[in-house]
Amino acid sequence: LEPLYGILDLLVLRTLLFGPLHGYAIATAIRDSSGQTLNIEFGSLYPALKRLELKGWIGARWEMTEHNRRAKVYRLTPQGRKRLREETSQWTDFVRSVGRVLKPGAGEVES
Amino acid sequence: MTFWKRLGHLLPWRRRAAERDMQEELRSIAAMAAPRELGNLTIAAEDARAEWGWSRLEQTGQDIRYTARTLRKTPGFTIAVVLSLAIGIGANTALFTIINTVMWKMLPVGDPENLLTIGRQTPSGLTFGFTYQQYEIFRDHGGALDLAACGTARLDVGIDGHPEPTVTGHLVTGRYFPLLGLRPAAGRLFDERDDQVPMAHPVAVLGYTYWQRRFGGDPAAIGRTLTLGGQPFTVVGVAPAEFFGAEVGVSPSVYLPVMMQPALVPANGSLLENPIVTSTWLRLVGRLEPGVPLEQAAPRLNALAGTPATEWRVRNKFTQEFEDERLVVVSAATGLSDLRRQFSEPLFLLLGVAGLVLLIACANVGHLVLARSATRRAEFALRLAIGASRARVMRQVLVEGLVLAGLGAVGGVALAWWIAPALVAYATVGHSSVMLDLSPDLRVLAFTTLVSIAAGLLFASAPAIRAAHVDRSAASGRDLGRVRHAGADHGPGRTLVVAQVALSVVLLVGAGLFVRTLQNLHRQETGVALDRIVVVRLEPRGSSQRTEATAPQLDRVYRDVLARVERIPGVRSASLARSSPLESTNLGFPVATSAAGDPQRLRSTIVYPRYFETMGIPVVKGRDFADDDLRANAPPAVIVNESFVREILHDREAIGEGHGVRIGIPVAWRKPGQPSIGPPLNIIGIVRDSPVPGLRGATPPTVYQGFLQASTGFGHMVLHVRAARDSAEIIGPVIDLVRAIEREVPMDAVRTLASDVDVVLVRERLVATLSSVFGLVALALICIGLYGLMAFTVSRRTSEIGVRMALGATPSSARWLIARQALTIVLAGLAIGIPTAWIGGRLASRQLSTLLYDVTSTDPLTTAVAVTVLVAVAMVAGLLPARRAARIDPVAALRSE
Repeated sequence: LEPLYGILDLLVLRTLLFGPLHGYAIATAIRDSSGQTLNIEFGSLYPALKRLELKGWIGARWEMTEHNRRAKVYRLTPQGRKRLREETSQWTDFVRSVGRVLKPGAGEVES
Repeated sequence: MTFWKRLGHLLPWRRRAAERDMQEELRSIAAMAAPRELGNLTIAAEDARAEWGWSRLEQTGQDIRYTARTLRKTPGFTIAVVLSLAIGIGANTALFTIINTVMWKMLPVGDPENLLTIGRQTPSGLTFGFTYQQYEIFRDHGGALDLAACGTARLDVGIDGHPEPTVTGHLVTGRYFPLLGLRPAAGRLFDERDDQVPMAHPVAVLGYTYWQRRFGGDPAAIGRTLTLGGQPFTVVGVAPAEFFGAEVGVSPSVYLPVMMQPALVPANGSLLENPIVTSTWLRLVGRLEPGVPLEQAAPRLNALAGTPATEWRVRNKFTQEFEDERLVVVSAATGLSDLRRQFSEPLFLLLGVAGLVLLIACANVGHLVLARSATRRAEFALRLAIGASRARVMRQVLVEGLVLAGLGAVGGVALAWWIAPALVAYATVGHSSVMLDLSPDLRVLAFTTLVSIAAGLLFASAPAIRAAHVDRSAASGRDLGRVRHAGADHGPGRTLVVAQVALSVVLLVGAGLFVRTLQNLHRQETGVALDRIVVVRLEPRGSSQRTEATAPQLDRVYRDVLARVERIPGVRSASLARSSPLESTNLGFPVATSAAGDPQRLRSTIVYPRYFETMGIPVVKGRDFADDDLRANAPPAVIVNESFVREILHDREAIGEGHGVRIGIPVAWRKPGQPSIGPPLNIIGIVRDSPVPGLRGATPPTVYQGFLQASTGFGHMVLHVRAARDSAEIIGPVIDLVRAIEREVPMDAVRTLASDVDVVLVRERLVATLSSVFGLVALALICIGLYGLMAFTVSRRTSEIGVRMALGATPSSARWLIARQALTIVLAGLAIGIPTAWIGGRLASRQLSTLLYDVTSTDPLTTAVAVTVLVAVAMVAGLLPARRAARIDPVAALRSE
């Protein structure tokens, strides 16, 4: 599955909530945590990282990994954290709305 | 935040650092991942760069650099394109510059939006002249109105006693400079203190350009003495540099207090104290008090009429009724301009014509670009094949178009810089010292930029679309650079040439109409070549106030002048008339055609003997005035023209007194109890109608009178001298003679009638000349376009023609193959162009009516001439390549395949 446009940003921010990661680790983390269903192409992920960095939602620094390699590690900034909260609630709203449309009866009962 | 970071990426070193950083990161990631797991990292990097936001700009930069390189490699193409565009854009910019100056440039004064001027709406149109007395009434009783006045005069000037060339002077009231909010460039300007007592303010303010030109901008000019009208004036200051006078196009060299008018223009007497109601020599400029709307001003001024103390209306000389006129108040924010009224229509028309030329030039350029892009198909195909997007290829072609348009714009602006002043000089022949501030401003730059961008997009769009549709596979194999299809490819090129032909038809028909108009106006000439007739206005002492007492004395002066002029070698004949045929005469002659009613006022003029001979007007019946007819005690006698006989006498026998038409006595001249009808009109001769050259319409019924028998308050006359061979040989002696009578005659007042006609017909001449020049440019462009298309066709169809010839086609049939194609294109263009020209002429008939004379916009002859010229020129352009087609050697053509 290719994620919807804009969702990629959300996924990246969410992944970084657990702690700083380098680019490759972000890619594998998204794949693994989605149960291998979301296969993000690195060609899409990498520009997204640059975009988020430019917007100031994530920061980047060169660090040494546990395998003693130099890697550029990304972490959430305070703005990024705020943004993640907003986007997450928007997303859940969105999913709930779509769900209501798809299963009208269930939605009415819930509310 | 984001924006600043992006901006940071514009700095080369920051970008290089970011690039290095990214490459290192990508390498480190690649080292961690499995081979091929990550896909194409180059594209990932490219997309990441795009996130920085400047890749599009960088690509455009690349496109521009690439364009510059390729254009340098094909200088012939580049020069042809840039030159075509420069001509088109230059013509448009030049006209727009003039329009901008004449129509829209604000007066360089303080708070111009509130400036207003007052005009009089009369049955014959809107005029802006007022007498000094009318100005006083409006100034003193106009309510919340701050008012100043200004009159223009030509002045003989002397500096420190030495005579100088004549200059234009503005006679201004005290409020003039303060009201306009001007500050002096040096010294001081006038104010109310210089506007108190007639003849008591001998001070002068210099115009800035005159100060620069004549005094080198020396501050010591202040305090110098100017001699004007024989009286010394002290220079007290210099007007600001950016101020060319409130009237656009008139640039006064010197400003003088209006109170000095009697000294400066002595021929008119004092217009300040002695009201001559017909002398409307002042323009008014004013400001309302803050908060008073412009609409309130006119009703307030109009309400002043009717009260004796503030009556501003003028009485008709004959009926003594008030003239039917109404004051209007209009904004003067852009200057009060005669030029604007006279030239607005022709200028906009010419701008339209220049637009057509630019369109034709664009078609040509589009054509060249298209032809070039055809040879670049392989390049485009290759770029598409290695992954460039179609949008990217299109963008490159568009960028190339814009770069070319930009170069054309630079050339065009340079051209306009040179054309615009030349045009103004040409258009204002005879207007003394028209001065326009033609420096380009933002509006002109915006116009040129927009026009250039539009032109660039226009001519690059067709090639851009085609470039994007190049087949990728064209890049493969041995077909690189070779074109396979013969006929299919020049569709757009052909359309462009058809459009060019159509546009040129419109342009040429238009140019033809204007040339015909000019010819028609020139054709109405008298029997004499107008450049052989020298005219000069004579204003001897006393001529401004003709009375019963001064008239005989003036008559003696005039007879003496005539006797002396006729003795000058090279003079064939000489006479005097109240005005030259091109000046309007306000003299009227009242006649009564029936016993009842008020007399009818006819056009009249005063002449001396031999006037008709001098002007080449045949006397068809009766005789010319003899010297004896003009004596004061001689029985009144007049000469009339043919249209008088036709319209007033209804073709009755005219000579003598038996025709029943009598001299009318206007109300104003009647003594109490006197009837409105005087003695019968004694007609001694009938002359041919002499249509006034340059004036439209038929000659009105005219009465010619002798000097002593005419009743008028003015005594000036215009000397007409007909040269036997060349007016150049007599003009010098005439000037000497005139100077002997009156010293203050400005030199440039002595001119030939031909130059007068030039002045009158300047609009028509400007339009005819420019549209013809544009027509020629269009023809040249068409030639190039058609030649290019045909040559291209021949080169593409070489092998086809070779095969045909190998199979037995004759050279002439090969020639016909190409010529037919050229002919088809031209005929298609004509089929579109002729109806377009006619429909356009019909739609614009109202605007054209003032610019055309004695010719309709669908004139068949004009259209036929335009079509013939176009077809002839097009065939020449088309046949040259056709001849080459006929010379194709079948063997060589087939071998090259």
